[in-house]
Amino acid sequence: MAASMMSWRLSVSLRCGQSASFQQLDIFARVLAQPHLTQLHITRGARRTCKAAPWLSKRTVDHKLNEEVLTTESKEFLKNVAIERFKERMANSPLKDAPAERHQWTPKSLRTGVLAIKLGVIPQWTKDGHRFTCTLLQVLDNHVVRYIPPEEFSKYPSFKKKWRKNIFGSLVVGALSTDPFKFSKGYNNLCAKVGLPPKRKLTRFLVTPDAAVEPGTPLKATHFKVGDYVDCQAKTIGHGFQGVVKRWGFKGGPASHGTTKWHRRTGNIGGGRNKAAVWKGRKMPGHMGMEWRTLKALKIWRINTKYNVLYVMGQNVPGPVHCYVRVMDSRTLFRRKERIQRPPHMPTFYPEDVDEPLPEEIFDEEMFKFTEPSITFTDKKDK
Amino acid sequence: MPHNVIHMNAGRLASRLVRRFCTQAKSLSNSEVTKKRNDLFTKEKARQIANISRLEKIQVQHIGPPEECTLLMNKGLSTPFNCAMHIQELLVTRSVVALVNGQPWDMHKPLVEDCELQFLHFKDEDAKIPNEVLWRTGSYILGYVLENAFKDNFYVELCSFPKPDVRSGSFVYDADLKTQHWQPSPTELNCLSAIGFKLQCYDIKFEPLEVDASVALTMFKSAQIPEIAATSATGNTITVYRMGTHIDITRGPLIASTNLIYRYSVTAIHDIESPDYGPLKRVQGIIMPQQLPIHYWTYEFLSERATKLNPAPVPSLKSKQKLAAENGS
Repeated sequence: MAASMMSWRLSVSLRCGQSASFQQLDIFARVLAQPHLTQLHITRGARRTCKAAPWLSKRTVDHKLNEEVLTTESKEFLKNVAIERFKERMANSPLKDAPAERHQWTPKSLRTGVLAIKLGVIPQWTKDGHRFTCTLLQVLDNHVVRYIPPEEFSKYPSFKKKWRKNIFGSLVVGALSTDPFKFSKGYNNLCAKVGLPPKRKLTRFLVTPDAAVEPGTPLKATHFKVGDYVDCQAKTIGHGFQGVVKRWGFKGGPASHGTTKWHRRTGNIGGGRNKAAVWKGRKMPGHMGMEWRTLKALKIWRINTKYNVLYVMGQNVPGPVHCYVRVMDSRTLFRRKERIQRPPHMPTFYPEDVDEPLPEEIFDEEMFKFTEPSITFTDKKDK
Repeated sequence: MPHNVIHMNAGRLASRLVRRFCTQAKSLSNSEVTKKRNDLFTKEKARQIANISRLEKIQVQHIGPPEECTLLMNKGLSTPFNCAMHIQELLVTRSVVALVNGQPWDMHKPLVEDCELQFLHFKDEDAKIPNEVLWRTGSYILGYVLENAFKDNFYVELCSFPKPDVRSGSFVYDADLKTQHWQPSPTELNCLSAIGFKLQCYDIKFEPLEVDASVALTMFKSAQIPEIAATSATGNTITVYRMGTHIDITRGPLIASTNLIYRYSVTAIHDIESPDYGPLKRVQGIIMPQQLPIHYWTYEFLSERATKLNPAPVPSLKSKQKLAAENGS
């Protein structure tokens, strides 16, 4: 960790810790036992963290392993063996069955989300001819990797105090299975414990214990229903180091009329006569993008069950095309009453919940389908 | 023909439980026996070196990369390893075994005449000889593992190991562990593997020594030594290898040093029945060299294959005539 940069933060944490007699607190005891984790309690809240958290398993291996030693045929053979073994394990796994006890949804329940991939945007129409844009989010090969109950989760270094103890458990969801030769043993074993092949991406959702899902369960797009409202969370497009005009929307200066070297500059940065200094948070050029942003209360208009695609309202879901998007039930109060009348699948959708197989496309009631006759308007003049 | 096959004539069949070591071994421990053997080895080696009264020179022609050259080395003292030291460090670190006049030769075995010298390593185009040498070394190290793994009250008697067969998927050592009903757990197998694995941290050379049958008898106290020696070229010598403190008999050659090892595992212990030695344990393992780093998944896949019972022949006594016939081939 960047010790020199964060040393002032470390001193702050130690001062706070001392006053709270931190020796007795489990979290600090655990942290202090591992010298390289001494600073993580403060430093993990930064706006952009480029390094992975130190408690995570080391993910990658030296790319030369297997590369120079094995023939092409051997590598293919091993890959096929790995695939066959995971298929066998997943087919025979008892964990795929629905859990014995399924709880009722309550307004205080918090279900898991899914880890989707942003495919792009597409226009759609309502039945009265109104055009709007939908973002396609594909839920590809999602499985629940791990569930940690609230009592244990409260003791984790990644647990935040604002979540308040013993309410939320942690559910790890993985997307996109891949072959084990890309990763280290520690990373592979995270998924191998539940008989899953290693996942390219892992993410964590806060869940209430009544919404816990058995590890190994697949999550599909049908985890949500058409007409549900979701929050979409992703890292925004990274623009790199940008000036104030693009980054903060400053006006800059005139392009012509004799302006000398003052077209896109900041201008005054002073805080006023009394301050006689620059205020903290002064908008200046700097790194723009690659930040987590959440877009709230987006309606799901359509679900494709064959390819597991969600058609979500809006063209501005954060992130570039093919980025990972965390999709969760909306935590806003928007249309809450509808939610209570039409509760979601708890804890997730299982195929045995429906008697007949689901149709390939599920549309919202108000959505126009191109299999229907065209929309006609009566001319007001005729009346 | 496995070099370590022990054969007895009919007269000794009555005492068929005689192994390579003294039968009054009840109070003996492996560590004591090892220490005694070491002292004898050191003495014999010193004696052989002292016997060289006059230093004679031999011409050694090096063939192959990095440069072809002729070296003037000491007869009976200089080894291919010493020749490599004169040429380039690369040859010192990566060479597994040498070819002297086209025949496999240990890196630390002294050269005795004018010869052509080549160095072999694991990434050669034709790595068949280094492969077999590594497999044989794996078996040899299994002997070391077995003699050092058990508590002092268990006296392990090693029997023999067959010719290396890489295609079988594992190398083997047959031994009498004196624990009839012991089925090792995965953790115990890991402990055994660790003993072999740790060797790579040290640069322990495999020192060969050609000893007279009488000297070998004092080291191993076996009545079968004369018969093994009879199969050698001179009719009375046995090649004995030392790795650190462990000493064992094998035809050889073995690899140059333990620092060439990358992965080592003891994969399985099977029960086998020898017609002449009674119930034995077949200990199997696999080994990978430093030059060939592989992903852990591949290695575990190979380990699984190595748990299957190796189809190598069970150690048994052979008549002298059969042995003579085989020796000719």
